Order: sequence, then structure tokens, then C-alpha cells
Amino acid sequence: MDIALTVSTPFVLAAAAMPLSRRLSAPQLGSLMAGVLALLFLFFVGYAPMLSAGALTHTIEWVPSLQLNLSFYLDGLALIFALIVTGVGALVMLYTGFYFEDSQSAGRFLMLMMAFSGAMLGVVLAGNLLALFIAWELTSILSFLLIGFKGKERSARSGAMMALVVTGGGGLALLLGLMLLGATAGSYELSAILNSGDLVREHAAFLPIALLLMLGAFTKSAQFPFHFWLPNAMSAPTPASAFLHSATMVKAGVYLLLRLYPVLGDNAVWLGGLLTVGTLTLFIGAFWAIRQRDLKACLAFSTVSWLGALVALIGLPNGYGLMAALVGILAHALYKGALFLIVGTVDHSVGTRNLDELGGLARQMRGFALATGVAALSMAGVPPLFGFVAKEVLLKAMEKSPAADVLLGVVTLAAALTVTMALILFWDVFMGKPRQKVSEEAHHHAPPLPMLIAPATLAAGSLLLGFLIDPLVKPLIEAALGVPVKLYLLPSELDRPFQLSLTALALGGAIFLVRCYWLSLRLPPIPSGSQVYRAALRSVDAFGDLLLRLQNGKIRFYLLFMLSALILFVVASGIVDPIKWARFNLSIRDSADVLKIVLLLIALIATFASIVFKRHIIAALSLGVAGYSIGGLFLLEPAPDVALVQFLVETLATVLIILILAKTSSREREKVINRTERGLRHPKVWRDIAISGAIGGLVTFLAVAAVVNRPSRESIAQWHIENALSLTGINDVAAAIITDFRGMDTMIEITVFSVASIAVYTLLTRPPAGKVWRRSQREDRLEMSEAEPAELSDNTTPRISTPLTRFGALLVLPFSALIAVEQILYASSVPGDGFTAGVVLGLGVAAWYVVFGYHETKQRLPWLKPPLFISAGLGLAFTNAALPLIVGREFGAITLLKDLKLPADLKFSSTTLFEIGICLAVLGGICAIMEAIASPKEVEAAEKRETQTIERPKEKEIEKEIEKEIERV
Amino acid sequence: MSVLFALATGIMFGMGIYQLLRRDLIKAAFGFYILFTAINLFLLAAGAFEGTVPAYVDESGRVVGGTSSDPLVQALILTAIVISFGTYTLLLSFIVLASRRFKTVDSDEIDDLIR
Repeated sequence: MDIALTVSTPFVLAAAAMPLSRRLSAPQLGSLMAGVLALLFLFFVGYAPMLSAGALTHTIEWVPSLQLNLSFYLDGLALIFALIVTGVGALVMLYTGFYFEDSQSAGRFLMLMMAFSGAMLGVVLAGNLLALFIAWELTSILSFLLIGFKGKERSARSGAMMALVVTGGGGLALLLGLMLLGATAGSYELSAILNSGDLVREHAAFLPIALLLMLGAFTKSAQFPFHFWLPNAMSAPTPASAFLHSATMVKAGVYLLLRLYPVLGDNAVWLGGLLTVGTLTLFIGAFWAIRQRDLKACLAFSTVSWLGALVALIGLPNGYGLMAALVGILAHALYKGALFLIVGTVDHSVGTRNLDELGGLARQMRGFALATGVAALSMAGVPPLFGFVAKEVLLKAMEKSPAADVLLGVVTLAAALTVTMALILFWDVFMGKPRQKVSEEAHHHAPPLPMLIAPATLAAGSLLLGFLIDPLVKPLIEAALGVPVKLYLLPSELDRPFQLSLTALALGGAIFLVRCYWLSLRLPPIPSGSQVYRAALRSVDAFGDLLLRLQNGKIRFYLLFMLSALILFVVASGIVDPIKWARFNLSIRDSADVLKIVLLLIALIATFASIVFKRHIIAALSLGVAGYSIGGLFLLEPAPDVALVQFLVETLATVLIILILAKTSSREREKVINRTERGLRHPKVWRDIAISGAIGGLVTFLAVAAVVNRPSRESIAQWHIENALSLTGINDVAAAIITDFRGMDTMIEITVFSVASIAVYTLLTRPPAGKVWRRSQREDRLEMSEAEPAELSDNTTPRISTPLTRFGALLVLPFSALIAVEQILYASSVPGDGFTAGVVLGLGVAAWYVVFGYHETKQRLPWLKPPLFISAGLGLAFTNAALPLIVGREFGAITLLKDLKLPADLKFSSTTLFEIGICLAVLGGICAIMEAIASPKEVEAAEKRETQTIERPKEKEIEKEIEKEIERV
Repeated sequence: MSVLFALATGIMFGMGIYQLLRRDLIKAAFGFYILFTAINLFLLAAGAFEGTVPAYVDESGRVVGGTSSDPLVQALILTAIVISFGTYTLLLSFIVLASRRFKTVDSDEIDDLIR
């Protein structure tokens, strides 16, 4: 079976979980998922013999040039983890079916759990660093969702958030580390990276790589000081805790460290970091575990402790600890999984998991008590259980560490505390006196027997694996490490590790006996990790509040900051090359240049005038003057196409602004002008002058630098000139660029323009929302205007409408249509193109709106449907561009009809269709804008409230009539 | 010549920013329009060569009668003009909406009204 298939199968089932939960009961659904994972487990078992020949790889290429591949890498190490994920997963899924009462929440839970199984398999089987990262983050997110599964509880939400912040933050470090690693090793493929260990270790970037990856692993695997998220993650339903937060996900960090050991391991940084953090975590976890009263918190801290041991082991030099780490992972997955599931059952059937309220459960839950006993013995490390083997190899490995005596002392102490924990778990829950609460409730709700299957199987595994070391465990670990290992159940002699192990057992038992004193011991108040985390969150909030004070809602204020920041950045960065003054050429060649200077001056003066003149209308006209001067400059460039567009658009813009000024009440505007124009004595004016002066200076500097430093003549423009005719059949090079070379730009441009015009149309023609108008009145008004347009048009006919102007407008439209047709047909050889054609036509229509007013225009030009024009234009343009795809050419490919002989120098090619499309879209856009602005609806509503008050009685009358009728009925 | 254009671009840009910082929304919209124009002017100045004839080729595919102007910047300006016109219209329609709703075009007054 394909590796990719094994990873994707759980995802498929996750997708199916919700739909299936409607048909199947919770146990059926759980069994189905368990069955599939069990099958996957068997498949992975089947892989085992194949691995002696080396790792199996499988690559699905995505973007090979960027090394973005979905590749898989299966070797002995990955196999161990894959077996744990699928094996423990299958049992947990089976258990889940009985844990939830309704199939709905079971379905939701199993969906997340199966998705997690897939993601976790992705982590351990990923053959590409980036694929590994994505799967890694996916596990974090699914962990978040599972911890917050009971989202109505506050603790669940905050625990989920905490886990996400910590593991997600670590994920960022991981990403950075992986990218550095990939860049250093020259590949993101695991198979390549594992062979470039020496290269990476000697590279200058080694230290940051190692630190970042350690950070990622430590947060994920709950190492001190990031361990606090794991106990808080216990709000998750217990099956998730058993699966994610003990057996699999928290071991992802350990997996990463093991995986990259050949590349990063065995040096001072590695040794110092892992050994220190791991040992600290080992002790702190064990110490806090026995002080908890919540059973799941006990288990969580003891998991933290064991994870610390694993990390410390991987830190040992010469790979001494690797074998012990692998054995430890197996042992822990078995006994801790069992214990978690049993705690879940206890919680499920008794309704509490507080140690103070539990006791003497053995009578009601015999099977569970037995399973707990076995698992606890394994946890305590009593021979001949598998946990004993794990503890032996741990101590043996630690014996070879640099500071062996200290470490052995710490490990022995932690082991003793673990023994105490195991005793507490068994004795205080199942033995001892039954507490009042328990004895009453346990009878009501005895756990269903199938719930025992999963924990019992795991406990049996702890028992049997010790005896199956030679046939099962040893080959598995040898495959992972690639070297033969010495592993046995019972030591042949009474060596030091064995002595220490026995010491730990005795010491642990002693601590258990005096636990009531130990527990009441008061500790000095040290801020815990979660307190630090909360303080950090609060300070982020406080900082946010502080920033919020800057958000005073005044855009000008924001602009001030942004622009000042821009100036600072550019000045500080020093990115601008010194201006090459040698190229600074101010020579005036001919009279055209003089004219250009004059036009520039006019443009500047007119712009300045638009600032100085207070009245909007004069300012708008000044801007028009500036725009026309710029158009003149384009003409002198000489760039006739641009000049034409500039003149047309300038005209349109000026018409538009005047219409809009007419729309807004002049009284209001004058009030604003009088209030806001402050003259030069006001300090704020000087502040604005300073800012704009600085920005202007900056832009001047950049513009001059850009122009002067520009390599002249070495431009792709030359290429365009040379190839315009041969490639596009267009003589006008600018038009060739617009319609073909950069045709996609134009396509997007007309789309943007169309969208903008539709937005204008929508904004201005919708009924105004606000306090002033009530909706019912508005709608009534709307009906009126549609029903009797002739009557209304008398009211709205503009004053400009005289017989002469009406005749002029009548005449303008057909002529503009004629010009438009000419410009489209001869777009390739003379100035003007589809765009100018659209604007010319649009101006003709605008003249109608100005002269005839809204209603008469709508009445007399019924074909004028802006949305139709826009969609037809865009549709034509896109279809024209997409058609070449059918015959296997690229999008927007041009079709020349060279042999077609047309009269009057006409040329026809696919660009002509494009030009028609542009023309239609632009015409539609302009018509939409004009219609929106000329639309009288809101002005009538605003200024003629009388009409509304007249209509009101009608409305009331109708309402009264209706009421009467209702009464009659 | 193009250096003069660049200088004018900077001056115009400064004036546009000044207008943009006005309380009067209509003036601020004018500021945007000045910025658009200034940028078009800059694009023109950035042309690779100062031509004497339009960028048109004859049927043999060559420019006749001298150096042609830079067609690439022209195409860029053409696109820029259209887009800036669309943006300007949208901006103005927002102002119309605001003035219709709040009966003022003073941005500070609108802020106060919203609160």
C-alpha cells in the first residue's frame, strides 16, 4: 500500500465521520474508525521487514523548482511512531465509541480525532521539511479544537487557547529553523538533509538552527518552561488526552529531535540544551504530579516528567541515550494510554476525578482495577513489566552522561516520585475506604464492559512486551537506530542502575506512606508557567489598549504617522544611490521644450490655485486646467494616445465633480469651508505644510534619482517598438502594448474600472440608510417615480435645458458614436482605441443626462443599460482572450488575419474584438456613474418632504382600510 | 527635460499630500487627484528616451522621421489614468454618501456625529 494513501485515509474518514454519525450509533462509528486504524497498523507492521534495505520514500512533485514536494520517508524511526499512532489510535477510537453517549458529539469528536491521526502520521512520515511543518501545525490546530471540544466551558476555551499560543508560537520558531536548515543543507528533502550533517554542523547558521528547532520541539513536547500548557490541556475529553497529550502529539517534539539527531545531534549546544531542559522537566513534572488532586492533572504532570526524560536522553553524547528514548516512548505510550483511558472511565461513571472524592472503586470496577494495577506497576518500573526495562535503560544511559552522579541522583529521585504517583493512582482510587459520594453514584452508572477493551489491551501490552523483547522490540529498535543493541528484561548482575532502580522503588513506597505530610507541605510562592503566560497575555492586552488611544478615528492623524514613518524609513535605510549628477541634463533643445516648461508651470500654478481657492468649484476648475496642461505635455512628448485619453478623462472628471458638487448642499459646504480654512496663522496649517513639504521633498529626491540614474536606451521599450508590427499587426506601439503585450493588465484594468463604477452605482442609487428617512416612505416614493415618470420629469428637468442645448445634445450622441466606431476600427494605426471610444460615447451620454435630466434620458434612451454593457464588454474581452485556449494556444494569444484584404486600410484581428469589449465596458461604467449621479431619488427625498407628507395620508388610509377588512373577516 | 518633470512631480506630490490632510473631504479628494496626476507625470519622466516623433511604426515595422517616444511608459500611463479615474469616482461617491447622511463634508464633524 502506498505511503501517501496511509496518510490520507484517516482524513477521508474524518470527512465521513459527521455524515456517518447520523446513520450509525456511537459505538458502531468508533469501531469503524478503530477498524480502519487497526488495518493501517497491520500495513505498517507489514512494512517492517522491508526496511532493512533502507528507508522507503515516495514523492509527489508539486513545485519541483522551489523544492515544494509532498514526499514521504519511512524508516525504522518513523515506523515506531506510525505504529504507536495507528495502534494506540485504534484502541482510543474504539474506546471513544462508548465514551460519548450521543452519536452526534461522537461523530464530531471522531472527525477531529481521525483528522489528527492523519496529521500525526503526516508528521512522522513526512519526507520534506515543509510538509513536516504543515502536518505539525495541523496537529497543533486539531489539538486546539480537541481541547476546546467542550467549548461552553471557560477552562476548555482558555486551555485550548493556551495550547495554541504556546505550540503555535513554537511552530513559528520551527518554521524559521526548518527554513534555515533547508537553506543551509541546500535541500528540503529529508533524505538529502540526513546526509549533510557535517555541512550543517560546521555552518555559521548552526547555532540559530539548533536553537530554533529546539524551541519548536520543547514547546510541542511540553518542556520546562513551556510545560504549563499540557496540564491545562486536560479540559479535552479524556480519549483526546490519552491519544494526543500523552501518546502521540506531545511526542512530536521528541520525534523531531530524534529525526534530526544525525544532523544536529552530538555536540555541545545539543548536549547542554537538551540535557539541562530535559532533566529539569523530568524533575519538575514528577514533583508536581504527586501534588495534584485532579487525576488527569496527575497524569499530565507525570507525562511532562517522562517527556523530560526522553529529551534528556536524546541529548546524551554519542547516541548513548537513543535506544533508551525509543524504549521509553513505547513503554510510556502503553501504560500512560491505559491509565488515561481508565481515568476517563472513572470520571465517566463516577462523575468526578478528584482524588479527595474517590476511593475503593475496586469492588465496582474489578477489571479496571486490574488493568490499572498492571499499568501502574509498569509506570513504577517493577520487573518484569516493560516499564522496568525502560527505567533500566534510562539509568544505564544516564550513567554514561558527563555529570553522571548528579543526573543519576535526579533521575532516581524523579523515578521514586513516579513510583509514588503510580501507587497513588492505584491505591487511592481503587483501594482504601470508599467515600460517601462514590459508593452512591457508582451503582447508578457502571461502565460498559467494552470500555475495558482498550485499557486492558494497553496494560497487557505493558505486561507482555517485557517478555517479547527479543522477537519484537529489539528488531524494531535496531531498525530505527541502524545498529545492534543490547536489550534484556532482567539484568544478569546487580549493577548500579539496578541498585538505583530498587532504591527508587523503596523510596517511592516510603514517600507514598507519608504522602499526607508531603502534600500539606507549603511551598514558597514561585510564579508558575501559566501565571507568567497570563501575565504576558494581560500585558499584550494593556499594550493594545495603549495603542488604541492613538486610534482617535481621524484619518488625517493616521496619515500623519504613516507619512512621517515613510520619511523616516527612506532616510534611515539609505537605499537611494547617490544621484549621478553627470547625467543631470537640463539642456533645452527646441521650442517644444520651452512649451513644455510653460505647460509644467501652468500645471503647477493651477494645482497651487486649487489649494488656495476656498470655493470648491473654482478649485475643481483649477484642477481641470492642471489636467489639461498635463495632457498638453503628453501631446508634446509626443504621446498622442495618452494625450487623447488625458483630455477625455479630464473633461469627464470635471463634469463629474461639478455634478457632484451640485449634489451636495452648497450651504453645508460653505459652512465647512468657513470653519476649516484657517489661514497661515494657524499652527496646524504649518504642521501640514511641514509634512507635505517633507513628503514632496522626498518624492522629488526619489523621482530625480530614478530619472537621472535610469540607464537610457537600454530599455525593453526598444524591443516593443521593433516587434510591435510583426507580432501584433498594430502600428501604434502603445496600443500594441495595451492590447497585446500587456493585454492581461488591460483586462484587469477594465475589470477594476467596471467594479468601481458598479460600486458607485450601488452606493448612490440605494435608499439612504439613516435616521432621516423611513423605508416605507422611500419605497412608496420609488413606486411613484416609476409609475408616473412624465409628471416627475417636469420637476427634475435641469435649468440648462433649452431648445438649443437639447438640439446640441441630440446631435452629440450620434456623432460620438461615429467617432467611437472610427476609433475602434482604426485603433491600430491612429491615436485612439477602445477606451477612448468608450469615453467619447460616455461623454455623449453624459451630455444627455446634463441637458435632459435623469427621467427624460431614461425614457428616451431605453437601450441604455449600464450593467448590460459592462457584462457584455467584460464577457467579450474574456471570451476573446479565452478562445485561443480551445485551439491549444495560450490565454490571450492574438489571431492575425493577414490575408484578409479590407477596404480603406482597415485591419481586423482578435484585438479588434478586445477593443470592442473595452469600449463596451468603459461605456457601461461611465453610464453607470452618470446615471448614479444624475439619479434624482435622494435629492427629491431630501428636499421635497412635502411630497412625502402628502403621500403619507394615502398610506394611512390604505392601512386603515386593510385593518377594517381584517376586522370584518 | 525629464529632470524638470521629476522636480515638478515632487512639488505636485507635496501639494497633493497637503490637500489630502484637509478636514474638508472634497478637498481631500482633490488631493488624491493631484497625487494621481503627479504619478502620471513621473511615469512620463521615467521614459527611457526623449523622442521627437510618436511611437508609431510604418508598414515595414520601423519608426520614421526620428527618435520615437517611449511607448512603454505611455501604456503604463494609459492604464494608470483609467484606474485613477475609477478610484476618484468611487471616492467622490463615498463623499456624496457621507454628506447625504451627515449633512456635512467635514471629516472631524462626521467623527463627532458617529460617536
